[in-house]
Amino acid sequence: MRRALLALLLMIALPAWAAEPRDLSWQEMIPPDAPVEVPNMTPLHDLSNMADALSAEAAPAAKQDLPNAPVVATLNDQHIRLPGYIVPLEVSEEGRTTEFLLVPYFGACIHVPPPPSNQIVHVRSEIGVKLEELYQPYWIEGQMQVKPSTSELADAGYQMEAEKIYAYELPE
Amino acid sequence: MYLFRLAMASLANRRFTAILTAFAIALSVCLLLAVERVRTEARASFASTISGTDLIVGARSGSVNLLLYSVFRIGNATNNIRWDSFEHFAANPQVKWAIPMSLGDSHRGYRVMGTTDAYFEHYQYGRRQNLQLASGRAFATDPFEVVLGAEVADALHYKLGDKLVLAHGVAVVSLVKHDDKPFTVVGILQRTGTPVDRTLHISLGGMEAIHIDWHNGVPAQGKGRISADQARNMDLTPQAITAFMLGLNNKISTFTLQRQINEFRGEPMLAILPGVALQELWSMMGTAEKALFVISLFVVLTGLIGMLTAILTSLNERRREMAILRSVGARPWHIASLLIFEAFALALAGVVAGVGLLYVCIAASRGYLQANYGLDLPLALPSPYEWTLLAGILGAALLMGSVPAWRAYRQSLADGLSIRL
Repeated sequence: MRRALLALLLMIALPAWAAEPRDLSWQEMIPPDAPVEVPNMTPLHDLSNMADALSAEAAPAAKQDLPNAPVVATLNDQHIRLPGYIVPLEVSEEGRTTEFLLVPYFGACIHVPPPPSNQIVHVRSEIGVKLEELYQPYWIEGQMQVKPSTSELADAGYQMEAEKIYAYELPE
Repeated sequence: MYLFRLAMASLANRRFTAILTAFAIALSVCLLLAVERVRTEARASFASTISGTDLIVGARSGSVNLLLYSVFRIGNATNNIRWDSFEHFAANPQVKWAIPMSLGDSHRGYRVMGTTDAYFEHYQYGRRQNLQLASGRAFATDPFEVVLGAEVADALHYKLGDKLVLAHGVAVVSLVKHDDKPFTVVGILQRTGTPVDRTLHISLGGMEAIHIDWHNGVPAQGKGRISADQARNMDLTPQAITAFMLGLNNKISTFTLQRQINEFRGEPMLAILPGVALQELWSMMGTAEKALFVISLFVVLTGLIGMLTAILTSLNERRREMAILRSVGARPWHIASLLIFEAFALALAGVVAGVGLLYVCIAASRGYLQANYGLDLPLALPSPYEWTLLAGILGAALLMGSVPAWRAYRQSLADGLSIRL
């Protein structure tokens, strides 16, 4: 009985005595006599610019779409109604789009080359419009403002302060 | 009016079941409103986080991914982009301002962002509001200065002049720290209710300096170490950044520039319109939101059916009550409206208690949600939409109340005439 008790005690005590592990830090896993690493401050190579060099030789630079397409000045101050797709720029806290670009076809964002600048209208709206889907076309009513090109900056284009925005439905 | 009083008195007589029934409705109403409120507030906080930025540019990945890590500090970048790519587009004549961002490190779970002065000058949130300093100043030329977001300063009790150590990686508990290069708090931003509150802002030079002697993916040893003072005298122009934001002179050129960036031959990059990416994010989340909404509607329905069951089972026990009422001159429609009143009263009590419960829950969990998820749930009055939901629940209760009312209406005459019940 006593021997059994002793054995039991040993079984409990021994692991407790032996099992206090040593804290190891990650730094200790690198041998202290490892060759000192001298930081190399100069770039090892300049391959990062290779893509530029290769592409310059491979093909002419990407063709730019018309960033500064001519606009029709007579449309200025006309009260018009225009259908189009909404590309949101500013979304209010209520989830309403208060500033957006109106484009003639959905997917003007990425799938095809962007429309030229005279096919985009920059619209602001006080109350905004609650967009459910990007591919829902809308009618925009308001006063058109035509901003003619002033410099080499491509700042020409149509702007509008929307008075009414409502969903476009297929004519019956 | 006496009918309503009678209905209330009858309910009071069975108060234990009545309270349980109302409580079941209250829980379901609370759930429905909570789902609705979290949904709208999450959307509002997402929408108000970024404003006035025309394009966000990062390594090529997905538009939602880029939006999430660059603006909302959710997830991680897939790759960095070169500093000279940033310089190339920052110099574009169409670009009015450019904010570089360098992410990847953290301090006790809060993300660290390396940027420039342009961030404090041009970054906008909400309704075109600029960032404001609550105290101190923006970081200056010394690389080891940090500007804290309001939440970071509050939660960790930092004040101007405190020293803190940034950690490598984005874990809450970090084992690898940049403890040889402590940062000094020089500014604290005003609360914005956006992820900016949970960010530590350092200069790009500081971001470069803490990683300057990291070569093989570990901090250098012994002689390889570069002290903070040595780093100050080195060239700290970054090699790479994580993303950048652009503001344009003319919104109409957004697509043209986006196209140029996406087709940039120097390296693969992705430019997104934040509004479009946000819309995509919402249409993705929309399905989950709808599922949650439908589930909570069914829970409300379950609560109402529970009420219906309770009233219907009580009808049998109350045949004597109805018979007595009939004998003292109540008409069948009196009996019917009595039961409708009862259902309405139960539902009303449930709705009121549910709204109360919601406010208690919001008040209790507000700080936690704000600190951990950046979600600000205001204790605001119910919105028009929530009012319609509540009215809909009451309407449904009235409709359900008419079922026992109809039965009682039919039975009351026969019961009143029979001797034994």
